[in-house]
Amino acid sequence: MEAKPIVASRQRTVVVQGVPTEVVCMAFSNSILVVVTQYGKMGTLVYVDPDVVNNDVGRPVLTTKVLLGQDEPLIHVCAKNLVSFVSEEAGNKPVLLAIALKDKTMEGIKALQEVIQSCQVW
Amino acid sequence: SQPWVAEAGISLHHFSGRLGEQLVHFQAMRLRDSLFLWVGSAPLLGSLAVAMCSPRDSIPVSTSLLGDPSDTTSNSLAQRLARKTKKQIFVSYNLQNTDNSFTVLIEKRIKEEMMAFPEKF
Repeated sequence: MEAKPIVASRQRTVVVQGVPTEVVCMAFSNSILVVVTQYGKMGTLVYVDPDVVNNDVGRPVLTTKVLLGQDEPLIHVCAKNLVSFVSEEAGNKPVLLAIALKDKTMEGIKALQEVIQSCQVW
Repeated sequence: SQPWVAEAGISLHHFSGRLGEQLVHFQAMRLRDSLFLWVGSAPLLGSLAVAMCSPRDSIPVSTSLLGDPSDTTSNSLAQRLARKTKKQIFVSYNLQNTDNSFTVLIEKRIKEEMMAFPEKF
């Protein structure tokens, strides 16, 4: 007797700008896990946290923290670009992003956003 | 033609078990040379640890990535699974009960599933 999963998940494998890419999204009650990999691995782990308290404009400020892997400026930019909409749509939940990209161009990131959107579980 | 394409990609696998009167859910995600394993009874991501084998030490090295670092259950479970599988292991353990006798049951259930569905891990 197998119980039904309690964590909703969706997964897609697509070729983005010529690069085979895998995306997995899992919805937890307190956060969303997004895996975007072009190497088949978790790669760099980034915690994207919306700070709703520290502003009064309504739009939360996102802080990014590298939990595992190389902490370079570009990874913070990629993380914010890729999943800020996920955090917002999920009702300002934090996003745990696992990211391993060959293509970090703006076009690539934009295309990846669409793949993440198609794995919506939030 | 690339090995990446020939290889099976990320696989998701859910299983569960009634352990010590509690229904426990497991969500495994197999990646290349690594495994993410979530354990919980409610869909919460409260802690996360990573472990991998070290060439210098028989005990795999591990570190806490999310949650209370003084709660070492995710860490030790990740270490034990890394030693068994030789893979990089991410564990998110989200159960109140962290007694040794209980986590032994958890580990046993995971190993059972690994035996039954090796391709999922």
